[in-house]
Amino acid sequence: MTAIVETLDLTRRYGTNLALDHLNLTIPEGAIFGFIGPNGAGKTTTMRILTTLLPPSAGEARVAGVSVTGDPRAVRRLVGFMPDFFGVYDNMKSWEYLDFFGRAYGVAAPRRQQMIGELLDLVDLGHKRDEPVMSLSRGMKQRLSLARTMMHDPRLLILDEPASGLDPRARIELRELLKELRALGKTIMISSHILTELAEMCTHIAIIERGRLLAAGEVQQILRSIRAHRIVEIRVVAGAARAEELLRSHPEVLELRREGERDGEDASPLDDASGPHLLLVDFAGDERAMGELLAALIASDVRVSHFAEQAGDLEDIFLHVTRGIV
Amino acid sequence: MLELNPILVKDLRSRMRGARAYVLLTIYLLILSGVTLLLYAALAGSIGNDLNAGRQIGRTLFLTIASVALVEVCLITPVLTSGSIAGEKERQTYDLLIASLLTPWQLVWGKLASALAFALLLIAAVAPVMSLAFLFGGVSLAEVVIAMVGLVVTAVLYATIGLFWSALTRSSLGATSFALGSVILILLGIPFLIVIATLILGRDVSSDFLEAPLFIYLSRLFIAAHPFIALGVTATQISSGENIFVEVVEAGASSVVVPSPWLLYSFLSLIFTMVLLFFCVRLLNPTRPVTTEAPARAKQTGAPDGA
Repeated sequence: MTAIVETLDLTRRYGTNLALDHLNLTIPEGAIFGFIGPNGAGKTTTMRILTTLLPPSAGEARVAGVSVTGDPRAVRRLVGFMPDFFGVYDNMKSWEYLDFFGRAYGVAAPRRQQMIGELLDLVDLGHKRDEPVMSLSRGMKQRLSLARTMMHDPRLLILDEPASGLDPRARIELRELLKELRALGKTIMISSHILTELAEMCTHIAIIERGRLLAAGEVQQILRSIRAHRIVEIRVVAGAARAEELLRSHPEVLELRREGERDGEDASPLDDASGPHLLLVDFAGDERAMGELLAALIASDVRVSHFAEQAGDLEDIFLHVTRGIV
Repeated sequence: MLELNPILVKDLRSRMRGARAYVLLTIYLLILSGVTLLLYAALAGSIGNDLNAGRQIGRTLFLTIASVALVEVCLITPVLTSGSIAGEKERQTYDLLIASLLTPWQLVWGKLASALAFALLLIAAVAPVMSLAFLFGGVSLAEVVIAMVGLVVTAVLYATIGLFWSALTRSSLGATSFALGSVILILLGIPFLIVIATLILGRDVSSDFLEAPLFIYLSRLFIAAHPFIALGVTATQISSGENIFVEVVEAGASSVVVPSPWLLYSFLSLIFTMVLLFFCVRLLNPTRPVTTEAPARAKQTGAPDGA
C-alpha cells in the first residue's frame, strides 16, 4: 500500500510549549487509522496541520505527496475535515448545508445535486432533507457533518474525535458508516482518547503522548509486539494451594499473581474454604503448552472452573506505552 | 456556468429567511416616515402661504429625510457585517470555511456583498419617501443623485469597517462594539478636531499658511472625511448656485479649485474601503499564526471532551 499521509519530523510550538515533537507518521492508503492519545497530546494539532489550518513550526507534512505548506489548495481538495465540534448554521436546511459546502469546494451544480441525494441516503438522513439543521439530534448532526466532509469526494477523511458525546446507538451507527466509507476506498484518519471506540474498527493505530509518537503500525502487529507472552486466567474451585505450588515450579510460568493482589505480598497458602480463587499466570508457552498446563493441573487434583487466555486489547497497549504524564 | 459566490448565497438565504429582515426594514421606514410626517406637520403651519413656501417645505423635507437615512445607514451597516466573520468563529464554522477551497477574498467579498445587498435595499426604500419632497419642488435631481451616492458610499465604507472588526475579533459582540465605537469616533471625533483646529489656527497662525494651496487641500480633505459635513456642505453650495463638481476657494489674491466635498468624501471612502478590505483578506489567511493558534491552544487547555 502507498502512503497517503507522511510527516517528517513534524514539529509545532505554541510559544515555549512543544505541542508536536519531531512526529514521523505514515498512513497507508485505504486504512482506518486510529490516532490515540490523552487530551492535549497533539492529536488536534497534527490534524490541523494536515488540513492546512495551522502551519508547522518545523518539519514537513505531505498528503498524497503534496506538501501542506507548498500547495495548501491542492491538499484541501484531497482532504475532508470534520473537527471535534459540529459547526452548523441555524436557519439552514440539511440539503442547503451540503449545497453550501459543495459550492465552497467548487462542485458543479448537477454533480452537487446528485451528491446531496446520495450522501443524505448514505448517512441515513434522506428523510431529513428539508429539516432545519438545528432540529437534528446530536448523532444526526454528526452524520450530516460526515456527509459534508464527503461533498467534494476527498481521498482522505480526517475526523477529530467524531464519537465524542454520542450515545451508544449513534456510536455504532457511526462505526458502521466508517466501514462503508472504507469500502468506498477512502482513507480515514480518526482520533480519540477513548480506546474501545477505535479498537473494533481500526486497521492501523498510532499512539501519541506529549507530541511524541510512542507506537504506530497495524493493530495486530502492535498487539503482538507489545505482548510477547500471554496472561492466562485460572479459576480454582478446590486445590488452590496445590495449583499455586505447581504453577510456581512450572518452567514457562514467568509470574503468578492472585487476583487483587500486588507483587506477591501475601505468601500464605490459599485456603479452599475462602471460596474460589482466580490466579493470573504470565505464561511464555504456546497454545499446546497451555493445554499441557491445564492437564497437569487436573492431574494433580486441582478443580478448575475457568481456564482462559486474557484477550489483549488496545487498552493494554495504551497503558503499556503511555506514561500518563499529560 | 458561472456560479454565485457561495457565501453570498448562504448568507442571503439565512438573512432574508424569517421575520428579522422584514422587522428591521419596517422599523427603519417607520422612523423615516414618522420624522417626515412630524416635520411636515410642523412646517405646514409655520411657513405661511407665499410663493416659496412649497419649495421651502420640499427642501427641508429632502434634507431631513437624507439626514435621517444617513444616520440609519451609519448605524445599521456596520452591525450587519460585524457579526459576519466573528459569527462564523462563534458557530465554529470558521475552520470549515478556511479548510475549504474558498479563497479569503471570496469569503470577504461574499460577506460584504450579502450585507450590502440588504443595505442597498434599505437605501432603495428611502427613494419613495424622498420623492415626496419632489412634489413640493425646491430639490434638483442632481441633489437627489448626490444624496443617493453619499448613502451608498457610506454603506460600503461602514460595512467594511464592521467586516474588518469581525475578521479581527473572536466574538460578534466584541466586533459590533468595536465597529460602532469606530463609527462614533469618526462622527464625533472629526467635528471635535475641526473645532480644536479652528481655535488654534484662528489665533496665532499667519494667513500665508492658511492660504497655501496644500493647506487648503488637506483641510478640505479632512473635513470631507465626515459624511454629514461633506454632504451638508455640498447641499449648501448647490443651493447657493455653485458648481456641483468643483468649488473655487478664494485664497488672498489667487483662487484654488477644489473638488466638491461629496466627491472628496466618495474618493476617501473608496480608499479606506480598499485598505480595510486588504487587511480583512490578510487576516483570513490561515498561514498567519494569529488566526489559527488560539483555537488549537484553547483545545489543549480546554474543557473535557464530553464522552
